[in-house]
Amino acid sequence: MPELSYREAVRDALSRAMREDEDVFIMGEDIAEMGGSMGVTQGMLDEFGPERVRNTPISEMALAGAAIGAAMQGMRPVAEIMYEDFLTLAAEQIVNQAAKHRYMSGGQVTVPVTFRTQGGAGWSPGAQHAQQLEAWFVHIPGLKVVFASTPADARGLLWSSIYDDNPVIFFEHRTLYGIKEEVPDELEPIPLGEARIHREGEDVTVIATGRLVHEALAAAQEAEQEGVSVEVVDPRTLQPLDEDTLISSVKKTNRCVVAHEAVTRMGFGAEVAAVIQYGAFDWLDAPIERVGAKFTPLPFAPVMEEFVVPHSGDVLQAIYRMVGRRNGN
Amino acid sequence: MATEVKLPRLGQGMESGTIVKWLKSEGDKVEKGEPLYELDTDKVTQEVEADASGVLLKIAVSEGEVEVGKTIAVIGEEGEKVAVEEEKPSRDGAAAQEAAQQPVRASGEAVRGNREVPPTQTDGRVKASPLARRIARERGIELSAVAGTGPEGRVVAEDVERAAASAAPAPLTAPSAPTEGVEIEQLSSMRKTIARRLTEAWQAPVFQLGVTVDMGRALEVRERLVEMHGDGVKPTISDLLTKVCAAALMRHREVNALYRGDAVELHPNANIGIAVAVPKGLVVPVIPGCERKSIAEIAAVRADVVERARAGKLQQADLEGGTFTISNLGMYGIERFIAVLNPPQAAILAVGSVEDKVVAVDGQPTVRPRLELTLTCDHRAVDGATGAQFLGDVKAFLEEPGLAL
Repeated sequence: MPELSYREAVRDALSRAMREDEDVFIMGEDIAEMGGSMGVTQGMLDEFGPERVRNTPISEMALAGAAIGAAMQGMRPVAEIMYEDFLTLAAEQIVNQAAKHRYMSGGQVTVPVTFRTQGGAGWSPGAQHAQQLEAWFVHIPGLKVVFASTPADARGLLWSSIYDDNPVIFFEHRTLYGIKEEVPDELEPIPLGEARIHREGEDVTVIATGRLVHEALAAAQEAEQEGVSVEVVDPRTLQPLDEDTLISSVKKTNRCVVAHEAVTRMGFGAEVAAVIQYGAFDWLDAPIERVGAKFTPLPFAPVMEEFVVPHSGDVLQAIYRMVGRRNGN
Repeated sequence: MATEVKLPRLGQGMESGTIVKWLKSEGDKVEKGEPLYELDTDKVTQEVEADASGVLLKIAVSEGEVEVGKTIAVIGEEGEKVAVEEEKPSRDGAAAQEAAQQPVRASGEAVRGNREVPPTQTDGRVKASPLARRIARERGIELSAVAGTGPEGRVVAEDVERAAASAAPAPLTAPSAPTEGVEIEQLSSMRKTIARRLTEAWQAPVFQLGVTVDMGRALEVRERLVEMHGDGVKPTISDLLTKVCAAALMRHREVNALYRGDAVELHPNANIGIAVAVPKGLVVPVIPGCERKSIAEIAAVRADVVERARAGKLQQADLEGGTFTISNLGMYGIERFIAVLNPPQAAILAVGSVEDKVVAVDGQPTVRPRLELTLTCDHRAVDGATGAQFLGDVKAFLEEPGLAL
């Protein structure tokens, strides 16, 4: 099995889809010659040419609208929004147009568009370039939302996103582009709405997304030294949410931590906590803990950025608080 | 500003106490330091003093078992309003037993039943996790009778499971209808402690060693001491024995030991516990530092603690720190018996009565005063040879008291 980086895995899914299917094309700012600000689409211009690897003007609203229009005409476009912070500029197109047409046309029109975007802290890009905004989009009926945390997941989920007849917002995390994972030779699509259990455990379930999946796995390893057995589950698709897998995991462990890099307040974790408390109320042996960024814009200063966003230590603290161990405060 | 009177922790390991009676009534004036109520812990019954002055505004728990730290009364100024609710006592888990005997009802009904349970927390609600509540509901455990070990005292699943395990045999032994003439005595907290500690002791791998001592010299010494005692307490054979044991313990520190599971503590002082029969029970007050005390001093301390034990006036401190125990049933004419270990102590000495026996002295039948001693040792801490050397020294010191110097 080949080993791919997260960046290569995304590129592999795009390229394979474009090789097999003329309806698939990509568009975005600086994605052609430059290969995108994160280098994801490097080399694709040479293989597929400027008709299918399209540079756009610096207008997220325009490029999102164009992608949505192409999708409504039967294409399967994948538009790159350079930073997820810039989704604000395309919000009208995504929220009021893409998410609504299938419903408002009584199913006569579908919008099979995929918006790839990336973000997150870790490189000190500051308050306008490092947010985690997935919670905004899981709130919109008509959109699907994916947040891949590993290369294999990114490849399989991106494929399914491209071939889903609904608009999908596909979140990538900036600090994960370099991580590697073995992937099957054949691309196996991963259905949207299926969680992945990264690690089985008995005492606490950590439901984590994006970068925090890796932080949770590190915390789980440390907790194991202390005799606390931690299960780590990544929903992977935030909308629709694989509630059954999450609930049955918590029914097994009786304790639940929800962890993401986005701010905790009104975050995706709050929804997960609500789902868990309803679905596993009589199985809970401790209040659900949430781990996320402090409620503040992200600072430029690296040390302050580190301070604001959560790390494995924060997950570990939450685990210990739940099981009543030392350091749990 | 009103002061909440909370149940104090009077000794290590004390989790709860039983309020026997209040010495003041609601509305009475109370001075700080005045005896306020009588408290029965698992070791002693004692008077507890008020820790504030004012008027006893409210007695929240009039009697019954209460967890440490719980508000039991409020002292404040005349006319001040109090927020503490009066509570029904939960007596010795009887409520839990009742609950255990009830068949599990439809879940909705059971939930409502749980909410009607008299709360043991001051905010009027038992803090328990949903899982703990479900298990309690399913097994008929009353949550208010379960001590929570989770964060902020929350009752978690493990606590309920522990309570369920200990409550399980109750329905089997609880009589469905008492036979005529049978008196039911609920276990006092002292009897519960005796039951728990002796059951624990029974699990220790023990062995016994016995010797018979010629008490001729010891009785002479005791007579001399009685002649000399003046205004002090008249020394007994037990006091002499306590002193002699202290001397032997100092020579065999392995016996003056506490078994702690992963370690054995060898103690520098002979703090000797004396088993004292009290109405409806048994207590073991400790005479500390016997190796440094004269027999007269030992007698004085012994007389004091025994008197207070019988009057139910022992303090928790009187019962703590023991390193060795002597149990004497000689006064009942018992010639020999085997004492049950007093954990975590590694050994206990059972003392019989001094009896005139015909024995061979220099090949001739002679009548001598004889005493049988039986030492019970925890084999995890003390080996046979060690115990034998210790007991041999006790015998030698009684037969030739000068050797104990």
